[in-house]
Amino acid sequence: MAERTRESCLICQIAGNNIPSYKIYEDDTALAVLDVNGSNPGHCFVMPKNHYPIIEQVPDTELAHLFSVANRISSSLFESLKAQGTNVFVTNGIPAGQTVAHFTINVIPRKENDGINLQWKPKQLTEEEMSTVELKLKEQIKNVGVGKIEKTERPATAIKRAEQMHISDDDEDDYFAKQIRRVP
Amino acid sequence: MPEQQAQQQLSPEQIKALQEKIKNMSPEELKEFQKKQCIFCQIIAGKVQSRKVYEDDSAIAILDVNPANPGHMLIMPKEHYSIMPQMPDEETGHIFAVAKALSNAALRSLEVQGSNIIVANGVAAGQRAQHFMIHLIPRKENDNLNFQMPQKTIEDAELKKIRKVLADSLGAKAEEPVIVPLPKLNREKKVVDAEFNEKKQQKMPKQIKKSEDKRTGKKTKAKSEDGDGINLDDIAKVLGER
Repeated sequence: MAERTRESCLICQIAGNNIPSYKIYEDDTALAVLDVNGSNPGHCFVMPKNHYPIIEQVPDTELAHLFSVANRISSSLFESLKAQGTNVFVTNGIPAGQTVAHFTINVIPRKENDGINLQWKPKQLTEEEMSTVELKLKEQIKNVGVGKIEKTERPATAIKRAEQMHISDDDEDDYFAKQIRRVP
Repeated sequence: MPEQQAQQQLSPEQIKALQEKIKNMSPEELKEFQKKQCIFCQIIAGKVQSRKVYEDDSAIAILDVNPANPGHMLIMPKEHYSIMPQMPDEETGHIFAVAKALSNAALRSLEVQGSNIIVANGVAAGQRAQHFMIHLIPRKENDNLNFQMPQKTIEDAELKKIRKVLADSLGAKAEEPVIVPLPKLNREKKVVDAEFNEKKQQKMPKQIKKSEDKRTGKKTKAKSEDGDGINLDDIAKVLGER
């Protein structure tokens, strides 16, 4: 199953060098490429080489590394491309705008009036609604828990660990896969 | 947004005096000063009320008082950093692991089907608070949120130039990518498409995630194999679809 997933996933194909791309960074577990139709010149994607459709499936160690890479790219965009600002943007699930079933971090250089809009109009919630949401989240985060990241872990070990942790699709009973069953 | 409360009206003289004061501060004093001025540092210290959903040694998550959607959270380091590039790797890693866990919690408890993670560094990127934070916004269909990320046509020459600049700055080798030719296509595309369309018309029962995966997998495959080979436009099309 893992092999088949890799074959049909565009990003796995890019990671495997089967599809040409403008790579700007690569290591054991992470890859960053330029978006050829980016929202701005310098728009990058950072992604894990392992195939994980959504963020909830990415092990913490790999996730930490990916966002550190994204952060370094963000710094580079400021320093090397003289960006006035940067956005780090993740779409998780179809309603959030995800189009490829492989977890991806967008890093976007920004300047004034560049046509990108990541703002929103606030919704009015009553105090009661806010309290309900607060309670639900608080309760749930207790069940979910937040993992501690082992600081010294190297990417190479991370890969191994990720493979061990990766549940194959055949015995997938992952809650999120069901929840976000409509991931593209 | 709570940060608006932090903005005080100052006279030009006061501003000038303040600027002078800031200029003469040691880095430590400056940090202390920023912290004092920052509404989110006040929230973290418990001096300003908030709806806290998560807290540990280095990170905190509160509900945004002006949410894009119900459950919109702000996840912040307790330490004052203005923008993400100031964050040490260790803290960056931890705070996004927290974001992942909270996204997880939102999916489980708020009847949503997705989430957006947004970080804005700098005013041009839409940053309004002077404290680095991650916006975590739970999403569902038709929730009236509309993030606009237009696709631009970027010339090959410019892409090459940018790639070299970024690769150099990131310390990676700025070589041309290795391109392995794709294996010859077999013409099963039509079958795949037909299967896809047929399945699309059916209502998807909840538990069929597995076949769904296969379906969407095939969809991408069929799409990218369309034509004689894969070129950058194809990737762009799939990658860039928003």
